[in-house]
Amino acid sequence: MSTSIRIGRRTVLAGAGGAAVAATLGRPAIAATKTFTVGVLGVLSGPDAAWGLVNKYCATATANMYNAAGGFPIGDDKYHLEVVPADTELDPKIAVAGAEKLTQQLGLRYVIGPNTDTGALSVAPVMNRSNTIFIPYAFSRQLYTPPAENAILGMIASYEAGPIIYKYLMQKRGVKSISFLASNEPDALDQQKQGVAAARKLNLKILSADATYQPSATDFFAVLSPLVRQKPDLIVFSGVAPATAPLLIKAARQLGYKGQLSTETAQNIKILQQGAGKYAEGFISVGGASTPAIESDYMTRFAKEYQKVAGEWDDEAGTKVYALEMILRTIAKAGPKALTDTTAFKAEMDSFEIANPFMKDHPPLRYVGTGYFQQKRQIGVPLVVNEVKNGSFQTLFVGFVS
Amino acid sequence: MTQILIDGCVLSANYALIALGITLIFSIINLLNFAHGELFMVGAFMVYYVYGVFHLPFVAGLVVAALVTAVIGALFEKFFFAPVMRSSTREENSMLLAVGTALLLDSVALFAFGHEQRGVPDVIPGVMQIAGGFLPYQRLLVLVVSLVLVGVLLWFVQYTRPGRAMRALAQDRDAARLMGVNVERTSMLGFAIGAALAGLAGGLLVTVQGISAGAGPAISIKAFIMIMIGGAGVVGGALLGAVVLGFAESIGYSLLPGSETYLLIFVALILFLIIRPQGIMGHPWG
Amino acid sequence: MGLTRQGSGVNAATGGAARMLAHTALGFAALAVLFLLILPALFAGNGYWLTVLGNAALLAFASLGVWLTFSIGRINIAQGAFALIGGYVTAILDTRYGFSFFASLPLAGIIAGLVGYAVGWPILRLKGVYFAMITLVLTEVATYAFLNGGSFTNAASGITDIPRPRLLATSLDLYLASAVLLLIGVVIVWRFHISPVGAVFRAMRQGEELAASLGIDIARYRLLAFVVSSGMGGIAGAMFAAVQQNVFPTSYSVNDSINFMLYCFLGGLEWVVGPVVGSFLLIVVFQLLSAIQRFQVLLYAILMIVVMLFLPNGILSLPRVVSGWRNRRAA
Repeated sequence: MSTSIRIGRRTVLAGAGGAAVAATLGRPAIAATKTFTVGVLGVLSGPDAAWGLVNKYCATATANMYNAAGGFPIGDDKYHLEVVPADTELDPKIAVAGAEKLTQQLGLRYVIGPNTDTGALSVAPVMNRSNTIFIPYAFSRQLYTPPAENAILGMIASYEAGPIIYKYLMQKRGVKSISFLASNEPDALDQQKQGVAAARKLNLKILSADATYQPSATDFFAVLSPLVRQKPDLIVFSGVAPATAPLLIKAARQLGYKGQLSTETAQNIKILQQGAGKYAEGFISVGGASTPAIESDYMTRFAKEYQKVAGEWDDEAGTKVYALEMILRTIAKAGPKALTDTTAFKAEMDSFEIANPFMKDHPPLRYVGTGYFQQKRQIGVPLVVNEVKNGSFQTLFVGFVS
Repeated sequence: MTQILIDGCVLSANYALIALGITLIFSIINLLNFAHGELFMVGAFMVYYVYGVFHLPFVAGLVVAALVTAVIGALFEKFFFAPVMRSSTREENSMLLAVGTALLLDSVALFAFGHEQRGVPDVIPGVMQIAGGFLPYQRLLVLVVSLVLVGVLLWFVQYTRPGRAMRALAQDRDAARLMGVNVERTSMLGFAIGAALAGLAGGLLVTVQGISAGAGPAISIKAFIMIMIGGAGVVGGALLGAVVLGFAESIGYSLLPGSETYLLIFVALILFLIIRPQGIMGHPWG
Repeated sequence: MGLTRQGSGVNAATGGAARMLAHTALGFAALAVLFLLILPALFAGNGYWLTVLGNAALLAFASLGVWLTFSIGRINIAQGAFALIGGYVTAILDTRYGFSFFASLPLAGIIAGLVGYAVGWPILRLKGVYFAMITLVLTEVATYAFLNGGSFTNAASGITDIPRPRLLATSLDLYLASAVLLLIGVVIVWRFHISPVGAVFRAMRQGEELAASLGIDIARYRLLAFVVSSGMGGIAGAMFAAVQQNVFPTSYSVNDSINFMLYCFLGGLEWVVGPVVGSFLLIVVFQLLSAIQRFQVLLYAILMIVVMLFLPNGILSLPRVVSGWRNRRAA
């Protein structure tokens, strides 16, 4: 907790202009009198730390920006923002203890995270007992479908992205047949199932619907050769981890595969380039919700702040930037009462609408999800689809989930 | 079909390096090296930095990988394992210590190398086609270098003075001492060579599979499986274990691509050990 | 003259045994007071700490089983598998067949014990590193088996929304149940330890051939230790399923199995309470030091190596080691 605040102060100091002077004097220009604390629950250590750390850095960057401006206004007061992280270590047992620490020990009512289905499902009972709003980055529908009401999906679910991407490829690239490959773990398998259902609806010819590989696998020649032999127009790597994607792409291409390759999850271009080099060309993935092509000035400033906090920009941050902003804006609309009482927050969600501060043309930003969850329990972030071109991501198109 | 054969050969050759390393350590100081996968990972990162980041020749990367892991192995042996083995009364102690060193390397690697998946460009780009199967030149390189290294090691153990000392040590520690073998130095050398083999295996495979700081434990488990199949402490057994596992994976994945393959490998392994608890080749060295 | 001496010797021996028993009873009472009165009083109303302590109690309970297999000289890295089995037994019985938790809890232990019996019978023939490796593989097998269990285990999605027993509604209830379970576990393992069976176990650790040559049916005894251990793992897993209200194939991994072993050894393999001390120390200390959570694994590793080098008999041997130093200095 103290670390994140210290990082915050230091970055404010490092920043240019009036904010830096104000911080040097020890107090922001207009002193925030009250404090609002939000929790970040996620994988913060170990090999998968990147998932949770991006959440933490995003929340910290947003908090830093508002704090430098004197706090976030809710009702008549300005609130100093604090971010308290809790590590799940990717272990449901520890995630539950962490959730209890945030909700009971510290009495927080707004938490960002966890990052996986197992983590989110494990902490859901704890969150529901204390009526805490949480924003998991997990796709399991039962989290967001009634009677559940406290979880808000912070991103585009793969089953929402899939049909949009397939349709685009059918129309623009003449894709007629499709195969799916997933790692044998809940999130990926679910995405594979949803992808197959979507493809069936689009009348695509499904050549392989249930191929899987072991999550710790590192050699994919054996796994991919039967798939490649069927020569589908498109192979979808359902829910593929950024670490695995380049290995799969390289293996598929080395086996002589000539068709399209895509996934519905976000990827990291540096990892793709290092691991697959020129083989990665043409690979289609879902991007962070903020690309240079569509970002507003506010988003540009956020990206700068993020770089100060985290050291380097991560494309994922473009999606996760929405979490704390949405919590704050919704509370501001619902009134100070929502700070401690999430019922007021939930009541506000249905009608909530603001101009999207992160996008250039400021399209409306709402809660969505009625189609998939029967209630508005998803942040309406834009769907950016990328293609690797000349070693970097290029925006193929931008879509929305209504 | 050809593809299965090709994949099996490449995997087996590389696994042989891993299995030989862990077997060497096991036979010489009677220790199950839990940190073997971690040494593999360190070797892979060395090649990543030397060859991938600093653009020095790939061979230089392999040399650095071997040296660094050998030094780590030697230091572990001298400062951790040798004292504990000398004083301990329980067999468990040295194994738990090995678990400790594995955790140590895991967490240090996370700080030193970061959590990101890394990869390096191909040393030799391009793909060869043999009878309907695909063999990228990069994998061919891994296969050839692995086989050469296995050959060199076998020659070293069989025909050189330190190699003979190691075999003597593996057969009977006290007798070896009486015969004038410097037991301390030979143990350290054996551990260093075993560690270097893991490092070399990692350094070679990073060109095909990439590497991340968390890759160690999975490799260690593979190493365990191989020595359980072949018989702990037997060179021939290690090679056999590597071939069996390599082909089990390549055949299994092409028939049952999911995690059923590993479930079957595990179950087969347990059934096999019930019949033959000492592995296929149940007696030590030579 | 000779008779008297002999008599007084017997007297002294029984007196010693009685004193030891009184000693242990006192120690156990202190443990019970600590777990059932002092800790709840200190943390009542603090759900987070009660959860942490409850987790520690359950992990300690599972570790006690591992300790028992240590006492026959086997390095058991399979406890995660049995915790997983126990968790799934409870999850499936409670969610699909309407079992009450209190009925499925003992069943989880029994089924895990039976699996331990079936698996243990062949693999207990293996010794040393072979046994360690095969048990480590068992943990992986369990994960893969549940992963490939189709609709019966709900595959990778796990079983969620396990109803929580009405009697265990609050964090305090769950903690108390876990603590009581732990105390029962301590009594069971301690009974084994002081009984003739415990003596046989120790004899087997010294050397199975020797024990066998004394006419002991070692196969039966080592199976007994393993079955009890597996059953305890199953019960801990079932209890965890009730606390977490879900179980996934990945709920317990090789790391968990290694941790169970670590707790035993860190506390000390010579003491029944070793695993209890080990697990509470590690879990509680690292929750307290949440600021350095980033370094947790590193600190675990360093701690393990340092203890191994300087305190190979565990933390509980510290007083003995220290007094050893003192004596040497005094002499």
